[in-house]
Parts: sequence; C-alpha cells; structure tokens
Amino acid sequence: MIIEWLKTQWHFSAVLTAVVAGVILGLVAYASLFERKIAAWCQDRHGPNRVGFFGLFGWRLWGLGQPIADGLKFFVKEDIVPAKVDKPLYVAAPAICLIVATMGFAVIPWGGVVDLDGDGQWDVRCQVASLDIGLLYLLGLGAMGVYGVVLGGWASNNKYSLYGALRGTAQLLSYEIPIGLAILVAVLMAGSVRLEEIILAQVGEGNCWYAVKHPIAFLLLWAAMFAETNRMPFDLPEAEQELVSGYLTEYSSMKFSMFFMAEYTHMIVGTAFLAVLFLGGWHLPFIPWLQPESTSIFAMLCKMAVMIGKVVFFMWLYMLVRWTLPRFRFDQLMRLAWQKMVPAGIGLAGVAAIVVYIRGSEMSLWREVALCWAGNVAVVVVAVLVSLLARQRGDRVTGRQGNLPAVPAAGSGA
Amino acid sequence: MSPTVAYLLYALFALGGAGVYLALPRSQARPTHVAGLLLGAGAIVGGLMLLGTYVIAPSSTESSTNFFFYLFSAIALFAAARVVTHPKPVYSAVYFVAVAVAVAALVLLQGAEFLAIALIIVYAGAILVTYAFVIMLAQQTGVSVYDTRAREPFAAVVLGFAAMAAIAGRIADPNALPATALAPATASLVAGAGEAPVTPDAGAEAQAGNTISVGWSLMTKYVVVLELAGVLLLVGLVGAIALVKKKVPRDVGVDPEAPLGQIGKEVEPF
Repeated sequence: MIIEWLKTQWHFSAVLTAVVAGVILGLVAYASLFERKIAAWCQDRHGPNRVGFFGLFGWRLWGLGQPIADGLKFFVKEDIVPAKVDKPLYVAAPAICLIVATMGFAVIPWGGVVDLDGDGQWDVRCQVASLDIGLLYLLGLGAMGVYGVVLGGWASNNKYSLYGALRGTAQLLSYEIPIGLAILVAVLMAGSVRLEEIILAQVGEGNCWYAVKHPIAFLLLWAAMFAETNRMPFDLPEAEQELVSGYLTEYSSMKFSMFFMAEYTHMIVGTAFLAVLFLGGWHLPFIPWLQPESTSIFAMLCKMAVMIGKVVFFMWLYMLVRWTLPRFRFDQLMRLAWQKMVPAGIGLAGVAAIVVYIRGSEMSLWREVALCWAGNVAVVVVAVLVSLLARQRGDRVTGRQGNLPAVPAAGSGA
Repeated sequence: MSPTVAYLLYALFALGGAGVYLALPRSQARPTHVAGLLLGAGAIVGGLMLLGTYVIAPSSTESSTNFFFYLFSAIALFAAARVVTHPKPVYSAVYFVAVAVAVAALVLLQGAEFLAIALIIVYAGAILVTYAFVIMLAQQTGVSVYDTRAREPFAAVVLGFAAMAAIAGRIADPNALPATALAPATASLVAGAGEAPVTPDAGAEAQAGNTISVGWSLMTKYVVVLELAGVLLLVGLVGAIALVKKKVPRDVGVDPEAPLGQIGKEVEPF
C-alpha cells in the first residue's frame, strides 16, 4: 500500500527530500567534527574527544556528541547585531547562502531508477527533481551563491568584511569559468545536460568513467571546486590571518553557524557534482547491484551508499588539502584562474569536441580512451611548453617579493 | 479588444506613472512615497487583472500556472518599481536581482527552461554581481545626496510610462498580432528558441528537450548571428584589456636596499 503510494514520483520525491535533508544536515554537522578530527590527525593531536551523549554509560565515544553540543551552543549564544550594520541585508545574507547551497540537492541523482513493486518496470527515479537543465541549474545556484558573500560583507559595515566580500566575488566569478569549461567536457562526451543521463553515459558495456577518459579535466574541475567552496588553499575571502574572518567577521551565534553550514553544504553538493560528472555517480564497476540494470530497492540503497561514500571520500581529501597547502596570494589566485585554468579548460573542451566528432557512433572503448588521453597529454604538453617559452622570454610578474631582503643562509651566523 | 479596455489600460499606466513619480527619492524626505507605493501597487494589481481577464484567460486552462504567473509578475513589477524608487543604490541592485529571478520564473512557466536558467546565470549571476560590486565600493559609508535623488523625475516618468503604455496597447490589440503568437504551445517554443519562428521540426525537437532544441536552432538556423555575437564579445574583451593594460618596466634592477612594498620590481613567476 505504501509502495503503491510511493510509486508516484511526486510522493517519492517528497519522502526523498525529507530523507536527504536529514542525512545531509547530519553530514554537515558531523563534517565539522570530521574536519577537526582530520586536523588533529594531521597535527598529531587527539582532537575533540570529550563529549559523549549526555554522559551515556560514562562513555565518551570519541567525541561523537560534539556536533550536538556545538549546535546547542550556537543556538543559545547571544546573537550580536552590531550597531551600524545594514540590518535587512545583514540578516538576509546568511539565509541566502544556506538556501542556495541547500537547493543544489534537488537535482543530484542519488540512486538511479527504482522498481518498487518488482514487476520489472522501473517506477520512480531516486532523485528529487529530474530537470531537463539539471547541470545548468547547479551552475545557476553557484552564480546566486555569490550574493550571500557579497551582501554579508557589505552589510557588516566593516572594512575587513568588505575586503573579504570583494575577494570572494572576484574569486567566485573567476573560477566559475574553468568550472564551466570542465563541465563542458562531460556534457560534450555525454551529449546531455541531464545529470542522470551523464551517469548512464559513463556506465555499462563499452563506457567508462570520464575521470578515466579525461583525467586532466577531472583535476581541473576538482581544483576549481576548492575555489568555489572557499576552501584552503583558496580561502582568501575568509583568510583569518589577514582579514580576521573576512565576510564572517561581524557575524555571531546562529548566523555565523549558517554561513558555516552553507560552506559544508556547498562542499557536499560540489563533491556529489564531481562524482556525478566524472566518477559515474552511484556506479562502481564489477558490482552487480551498482549497475543501471539492477533496479531493486536494495540496489537503490547500495547506490545511495556508494554515492555518499564518494562524497565522504572527497570531503576527506578537502580536509587533508587544508593542512597540506598554504594559501595563495591574491595575484597568484587570479593568474592561476585566468592564465592557467581557463586556457587549459578551453583546450580540453576542444579535445572533447574533437573526440566526439571522430568517434561517431561506433568506436571501441580502448581507442576512444587512447584518443582522449592523447588530447589530454597534448593540452598538458602545450601548457608546459608555453610556460617554458614565457620564462625563457623573460616575462616577469610584479609583486612584493622581489623587494624582500634576502634570507640569510642557514648556519651563516647572521 | 474594446476601446474601453484600451482606455482602462492607459489609465492604469497613468496611475502607475503617478505612483512611481510620487515614490521616487527626493533630496528632502517627503511623506509622498507611501502614497506613491500604494498607487503603484493598485496599478500593478489592476494591470494584472486586466491582463488576466482579456489576454490570458481565453487561451489558458491551467489555473496553477496562472497563479504562479500572477505571483511572479507581481514580484517582478514591484521589484522593478523599487529598483528606481529605492533611495539606497545597493538595494536597487538587489531588487534588480529579484526582477531577473522573477522574470526567469515567468520564462520557466512558458516552458523555456534553458532561457530561464541562462537569464539567471548571465544576468543575476554575472552582470548584476559586478553592478553590486561597483555600487558597494562607491557607497561604503555615508550615502551622498547626489546619488540618492532622482534627477528629472517628471520627464523620466512621463516618457517611460508613455512608451510602456504605447507598447502595451499595441501588444494587447489582437488585430496587430500574428495569429499564432498567443497560442500557448507555440508561445513556449518561441520563448525557447529566442526569436525563432516556429517550424514543424522544431516541434519534434522540443519533445526531445528544450535545451537540445535551443542548441539545434542556434547551431543551424542562427549560426551566423551566434558567431557574430561571439566575435563582438571577443572584440569587447580585447578592447577592455587594451584599455586597462599597463606596461610594466622589465629592466628595473632589483635594489636589495629598496623599501618594502615598492611596486615595479620583478620576481620569478610562481
């Protein structure tokens, strides 16, 4: 009976929304604990390990109660609104950030199609909304996400916040271009902007993940994702050491927390996006339940688990990178986007177009992969040659570091 | 459409114009802006009712679509009025974003998904962010009086609303339109393919998906226009770079005693 009710896509989407919202909010809360644990591991510390569940049996459970305590703390702390802020925009900014970040979950295909009653015909998609413009929807949300940063920074009426907002705007606008170009590679290969069709084009007989076909495009998208989510080494809008906390400086209590939830939500959407575009979404090779042919409810749950597993894996990488790479300087950030990533992205999109043109309707997988690799290697070779030539021609960039006094050599006794 | 309706339409535009005129920001605070907003709101509601009664109702059957059409139209019109009447430039920019998003929703209701999302990405996402950027840099603290008052409110309102009334009267006159333009099925196709006239195979492509049909018509029928637009953008890009590019002296010797922070020295690329 409940199966019959769920067979309507609308009903299924409603249930899925509730489930995904719950899982994601949980993930967001535990992502903060995860991040602190990873940070502690990188720095050879213990990390938060005191808070259990209300003193349950006197166990501490590796600090698993910490996110709950943090959430409670954020709710009951004093919510300070500084006197000279522009109040409507100051209040709206964190809400815009969080709403826009959360809306992205609507189009992510979590578990393919499902056959609920076992009659061999699939009934519903395990996806809240199957849009004809799925990918563009995500890009549009990314574009709207800038407003949370820029309005929050301006409304705070604080120079540091404004600098953070300006940096954030320039950075997000710049890195949208390499993201768009890397996405174009996947779209060209799949011939569709529907996310579920992009997955289907990567799985099954004679297909493989686009990360295998276009490794450089995958790396490009992945690196640009770091910038789009304001994570290290691209966290210039927040940059604690330079800007206090950038556009977050004047926020406290739950508003501050909303910005942080938005950042983690953004990371989760971004990694899910990456998994769908280049890593086959819910697919793993050689496992029967994770193929598009298997549509049982059990297979759906397995697919969702794989999808979330991929997301968690990339979240882990995000957190490792945070403690591995130092922050860029702003001119380095801009040069990386406009002089390195955008030309490489244009080259890769061209490669993908040529591959699609040559392969026609029938070409064996091995030849196609070889063709893609040849194109990717060609782009890398051209990039290296161009930068070597530029260096040889003596092109210089300006910056402060030329004027820094020479560091005395170690042991010189200076 | 009977002449009465046309005069009603013009009267509504006059009402809206009066409302906007009263609500425009002045050098001294005046209590007229509330009355202006009320008048404007009346004009918006009346205009939508007129539109619903005489233009939409005969050709549409779905009431839910109608509800969202009225909702987003009202949001778009209100936000558009606030763009010109709000005294703070940043809020004007934010209302402009609201206009772009509401119009995108209206386009979406017509079935033109690609156009809607392109509107959001290009207008709300890129162009308006740079607007907001500039306004915020100029207006960080203390709003100057010159930026917050309307220069020629009366002339602007009369000209703007007269032009809008003329265009609206022309559109609302059924004799002036080609016969196909108001049929809902073709209207969505027209919106989806830009200004493309509807062809039979375009209908088949629309079944395959709006994005695909837009792509087909851009890449076959309008390929010359598309390429020309691309070249135009490229020229703009080159021009912008040529305007702002500064020649950096290459052979300035590095003086180790020079003070920190001096610009124009050379370093290795990272």
